[in-house]
Amino acid sequence: MIFVPYDLIRVLFVLVLCTAALMITQRSLSSLFSIYAAQSLLLAFIALALLWKTGIENLAFMAGLTILSKVIVIPYVLNKIQKDIYTKRDLEFSYLSPVSSILISAALVFVVYKSFSTFLVDLSRDKVFFLGAVMGVSLVLIGMLIIFSRKQMITKIVGYLTMENGVLLFSMFIAELPFIIEVLIILDLIILTLISAILAFGLDSSMKEFHRKLNPFTFWFKK
Amino acid sequence: MLLLAYLIPGLIILALLPLRRYPLRSRSFLNLLTIAHAAIYLAVTFFILLNVSLPRYFFNERYLFIDLLGAYEVLIASIVFLLAALYARGYIQSLLRTREIDGRNLKLFYGSLNMLFMVIALAFYANNLALFWIFLELTTILSAVLIVTLNAKENILAALKYVFIASTAMLFSFIGIILMFAITQQALGAGTLNWSELMVQAKTLPASLFILAFMFMFTGFAAKAGIVPFHTWLPPAHAKAPSVISALLSAVLLNTGIYGILRLYAIAHRTSAIRPISFMLIAFGVVSMGVAAFSMLSRENIKKLVAFSSIEHMGLLVIGVGLGTPVALFWVLFHTLGHALIKSLLFFSAGIVHHQFASNKYYDMKNMLTLQPVASTGIIVGGAAIIGTPLFPLFFSKLFILVQLGELSMPLLFLVLLLLLIVAAAFAVFLVRACCRGGEGEPTPPYRVPWTMKAPIISLLVLIVMLGVFFPQPLNVLLNNIVAGLGF
Repeated sequence: MIFVPYDLIRVLFVLVLCTAALMITQRSLSSLFSIYAAQSLLLAFIALALLWKTGIENLAFMAGLTILSKVIVIPYVLNKIQKDIYTKRDLEFSYLSPVSSILISAALVFVVYKSFSTFLVDLSRDKVFFLGAVMGVSLVLIGMLIIFSRKQMITKIVGYLTMENGVLLFSMFIAELPFIIEVLIILDLIILTLISAILAFGLDSSMKEFHRKLNPFTFWFKK
Repeated sequence: MLLLAYLIPGLIILALLPLRRYPLRSRSFLNLLTIAHAAIYLAVTFFILLNVSLPRYFFNERYLFIDLLGAYEVLIASIVFLLAALYARGYIQSLLRTREIDGRNLKLFYGSLNMLFMVIALAFYANNLALFWIFLELTTILSAVLIVTLNAKENILAALKYVFIASTAMLFSFIGIILMFAITQQALGAGTLNWSELMVQAKTLPASLFILAFMFMFTGFAAKAGIVPFHTWLPPAHAKAPSVISALLSAVLLNTGIYGILRLYAIAHRTSAIRPISFMLIAFGVVSMGVAAFSMLSRENIKKLVAFSSIEHMGLLVIGVGLGTPVALFWVLFHTLGHALIKSLLFFSAGIVHHQFASNKYYDMKNMLTLQPVASTGIIVGGAAIIGTPLFPLFFSKLFILVQLGELSMPLLFLVLLLLLIVAAAFAVFLVRACCRGGEGEPTPPYRVPWTMKAPIISLLVLIVMLGVFFPQPLNVLLNNIVAGLGF
């Protein structure tokens, strides 16, 4: 029975990788946001499974914060912004086609695994912790791949958010940071998403409309 | 108490902003608040440097602290803030007249500007690496907002590029921070991210893992400092931002990245990982200087030219840090001050030139010397000072950093000298092109420069010349103490 959380975590890792692969290929923006929400939910589950195993209470807060901010608030904001821009799809892939992106990201996971196995093994308590760190950094690199291979700003934002999810995963398995810092980071992330989403909106609209959005007090009262 | 002096003015301004009563609707009142804010910072920082025994820690976990290095960086920032706030008064007025900025964005502009002051001061006073990271992210966001207050689409692109490159690189930094935490956790039992404790415990950290963490953290800080290859955001952001913001970006924001690298280096200095890290820093510095020098040669836009020059100077600073001798670090710190003053001078002057010719390109600048004597003097003196001509402050810092580099490797010294010559040539060519252009046909009416825009330029000119011919003893003591405090 004692192995159950670890096995569960392994399954969740695979699912996280699946969401990353889906993100690379997905063209419709709203499903892209849903995939992001699902990925964040998976991370929250991983945190809970880890809590079950290790009993570190911080992880419960982290799961809660993740669900609140990344499963609910950020996808909501992104959807709202996307409705304003009226683009339903991000068809363009610059430099890389989806298939080659997937191949490259598979290679990335392998490279990270190989290079970390020389460095990180003495830092992690268990094979699963090492695997978590590898997954985290791979997810960061896949997020970067999304930023590079997509043209639409809003898709790039999702890429950035994926990178951040990777950092979260990495931090879960390598070290528990002080809680207050976790909260500040989430706040920072939300502000960053908002600002870059509004900026992305500005690219497709008139300057007048953009500045109306940018003024922080008007943004929330619209509609 | 001390820390509150930095927090309260900004928070008061932030709280006042949503009000729609009379004085807050007027631009000059908002500007006055900003000037007062900066003046308070300058006064408090002087008070701290003269009267308070440092370092001073705050909170139980020592999340924030004031030490000599932080206070010195805040001092540089406060001088630039004060002059920029004064300059903004006339500058924004002119932008409103030419409709380059919208009247409704003024509150956003001044709000973000004041918040930026506060966040930068907090970043320099953060004792905790993760907190420092958060404040750096906030500076990125706030300066991006300041860039897009102008009415131009290109500004949005420049800001987005800035946000994406800086925060993507900063995420790698965060991986490094987590690694650092894990390393200290393993070495000490309890993890720590406080600069002060890391300095004490540095000897116990394992070298190979420390290098890995350093490389990750360096990525983000280098992006903030505009080090090649993470520099691509810098030229468009500096060129498109309002000149007063360009000055802040170049004179203060880039310093935050260098500051982070310097602190990390001071920790690395006490571990056995110092040699590869020094080597890496010098390599990044030389490459940055090279890329910047060759990009400067054919610039038409004065703000782009000055922006690339910032990359070049950050490269030189990273080389200085990488040399890691007390002499080199002393002059790195001095160079930071000189660079901040001269870059503010150049960008402030460029702002006037932009108002005169509605362009930043040299071929539009006709009869510049007769139309704008103050701005032309600023650009000519600033150009001479930034390339390190004798009698200006950067001459000494460049000379001594190069001497230190020469002790390490002669060929490298010659390479860097050659790059500095190319930079000097680029400035000279630009100045000749911009200043020697007469106008055909009707002469353009001169743009009447308000005194608030002239005063900062003139005071910067005086400061720079003074700092070049006379090295104040208190500064000497301060810089020596900082270098000693960093453990060199």
